[in-house]
Amino acid sequence: MNFEWTDEQQAFREKLRTFLAAELPDNWESIAHHGPGSAEITAFSRQFCGRLAEAGMLFPHWPVAMGGQGLDAWYQTILAEEMWAAGEPRGAQYMNVNWIGPTLMKYGSQEQKKTLLPPIVAGNAIWCQGFSEPNSGSDLASLRTRAVLDAGEYVINGQKIWTSYAGLADNCFLLTRTSDDRKRGITILIVPMDTPGITVRQIPSIIGEGDIHEVFFDDVIVPESARFGDEGQAWEIISYSLRNERLGIPRYHLARCALDRAVGLLKTNGGWKGEAVKIEAARAAALTETARNACYAIVDKRVKELPIGPEASSARYNVVMAERAVSEFVVEYLPQALIDGEPYLKMHHQRGIVAGIASGAAEIQLNIIATEVLELPREPR
Amino acid sequence: MELALSDDQIQILDAIDTLAKPYASVPIHDISFALTSEELDRELAEGGFLDVAAMEELGPETAALVVERLARLPFAVEAAASALVRPLLDPELPRPLCLIQDGAVGRAVRFLKPGATVVYLCDGVVCSFTANTDHVVEAQDESIFAYPMAVLKALPSEIEMRKYNVSADEVLTQWRIGLAAEASGLMAAALAATVTYVSERKQFGRPIATFQALRHRLAEAQVLTNGAYWMTMKAAVTRDPGDAALAALHAQEAARRVTYDFHQFLGAMGMTLEHPLHLWTYRLKALMSELGGRGANALAAAEAIWG
Ligand SMILES: Cc1cc2nc3c(=O)[nH]c(=O)nc-3n(C[C@H](O)[C@H](O)[C@H](O)COP(=O)(O)OP(=O)(O)OC[C@H]3O[C@@H](n4cnc5c(N)ncnc54)[C@H](O)[C@@H]3O)c2cc1C
Repeated sequence: MNFEWTDEQQAFREKLRTFLAAELPDNWESIAHHGPGSAEITAFSRQFCGRLAEAGMLFPHWPVAMGGQGLDAWYQTILAEEMWAAGEPRGAQYMNVNWIGPTLMKYGSQEQKKTLLPPIVAGNAIWCQGFSEPNSGSDLASLRTRAVLDAGEYVINGQKIWTSYAGLADNCFLLTRTSDDRKRGITILIVPMDTPGITVRQIPSIIGEGDIHEVFFDDVIVPESARFGDEGQAWEIISYSLRNERLGIPRYHLARCALDRAVGLLKTNGGWKGEAVKIEAARAAALTETARNACYAIVDKRVKELPIGPEASSARYNVVMAERAVSEFVVEYLPQALIDGEPYLKMHHQRGIVAGIASGAAEIQLNIIATEVLELPREPR
Repeated sequence: MELALSDDQIQILDAIDTLAKPYASVPIHDISFALTSEELDRELAEGGFLDVAAMEELGPETAALVVERLARLPFAVEAAASALVRPLLDPELPRPLCLIQDGAVGRAVRFLKPGATVVYLCDGVVCSFTANTDHVVEAQDESIFAYPMAVLKALPSEIEMRKYNVSADEVLTQWRIGLAAEASGLMAAALAATVTYVSERKQFGRPIATFQALRHRLAEAQVLTNGAYWMTMKAAVTRDPGDAALAALHAQEAARRVTYDFHQFLGAMGMTLEHPLHLWTYRLKALMSELGGRGANALAAAEAIWG
């Protein structure tokens, strides 16, 4: 085994850091703390991602045939770590390079590829993911937003909720119900967010601005060509596309950066003395590093093109533990930094709580581990 | 980054599994609190499994794997100190090895007996001596911690001890890695035994494993056990003092979280000597206090990481 980055990987990381140092404005932290869905970061990202693309660092991990450099998942990991540690200047566009672009490539029609890929590749495309509904959260397959095909057009009625970035998105990757078959009755439609009949309402939240929304669909009409894949193919497509997204955000790294930042502040304000604070900091670090290693074990498999199984849920749960431990450490030993609005710690505190819910709640991960890793007999339905 | 085992490592682990097959389960009707086997011990030593750290291409990382794998047996084998610390001192030191720090007199020490080599870390100096009846209080027949243990009665005088030109920090790092490796294997085996039990045991007309209260706590135990394995491997590869202290800290944290639960899920069966669970969990309990316990390992980690 070897836990070191290669010279090339290290050089890639340095290149990213140099780029970030040159491109982020002096007041960046005061922009960044608004969160990736905010108007500020969204506007910034439309410039920033373009320059990142010009520098060849927007999607270096995409295959060459897609315009990428064919670099492996370690580079994607390094890219994500550096971007998120810097406050994610790509804003919502991290989703594009992680899964939306590759999914368009794999399943999109020629027409869809031709119209939808260029803005993504240019670093100027905001997407949102319309999956969850008021009555369909963890039980996503129960979703009810209807799409009825009538004379070459789909008519959509229903409601989505918790939709990140919806307020400023250009397009929605929307899951709709086209028949009663639980999973095979779900169909993907790609819906421009300015289509008449769509209403977006931001939901005031404790996690910062611009993230979660309600999206209402009232007789929204899109052409049949907006369908992505076949009718009923949604479950297959999202299972494939999102298989790595449980770990799409390198939260272990964010948590560790926040912890290091907190210890640095404690050292300057005199709080880094006595045993208790040090013991608690180390306990949090043990969790960020177990989470990091568990995630890296999965990246290692991805690079080797080995199948990724339920161990991703185990890594994800470990990440939740890490986020929680760091957040609790800061709350206990540095509350004033949160009150004063220290940008990085405040952002971490606001958003760390999300880890246990978004992209599959923690308990759902435990269910998967119990059934698929430990192979315990299934719960009765 | 390369996180898969090498072919050599896979072969060594397979060889251990083959050699240890007769020891993979508890002998029928055995109701010992601690299980040991001189024969197993001899076979492992003769097979060179405890000497892999010094071999090129294998190194401490493979030693940690060996320790982890052996800890999964119901039999307690002195492997961690021999495989990870002994190579730093003298590969010929007679086994078993016992590792002690200042303040060990009057305390029970794992594997201590006349003839054992005691490695003693005191004020940054590393020394050793061969234990004899002057130093050792007769071992108790029944160990509360599922290891053979005896109380260290006294230390020999300084001139009777052999001193090594090795830094105590380096020994501590290897000790921590050994501790983490052993705890990882113990947790993995205890988890597997618990999973088997709850999958078979039925109440209310269904396996108790179908109750979510148990499922989630067992799933958490899986996450912690997986974490312990990776922390051990990382520390064994980097041999970084911070990584080693974090690995030991996490192992002790995890052990503390899981041992009580595992017994709980076996109901009264978990209180018996007939079921072997205690052969792993009660060794874990012994490891919880080693190297000063969580607090001391956490402080060591904090010192190494943040100064
Ligand atoms: C910040 C944020 C951003 C999000 N962005 C998006 C987005 O862009 N697009 C989108 O479609 N969705 C998004 N979501 C929604 C997210 O996918 C859901 O919140 C998530 O799937 C959980 O659903 P829920 O909130 O309805 O919780 P519920 O499903 O109601 O769960 C509530 C609690 O019950 C537990 N629970 C539920 N079922 C079980 C079970 N079988 N066993 C044990 N416990 C159970 C859960 O673990 C949880 O603790 C976002 C959520 C957040 C917090």
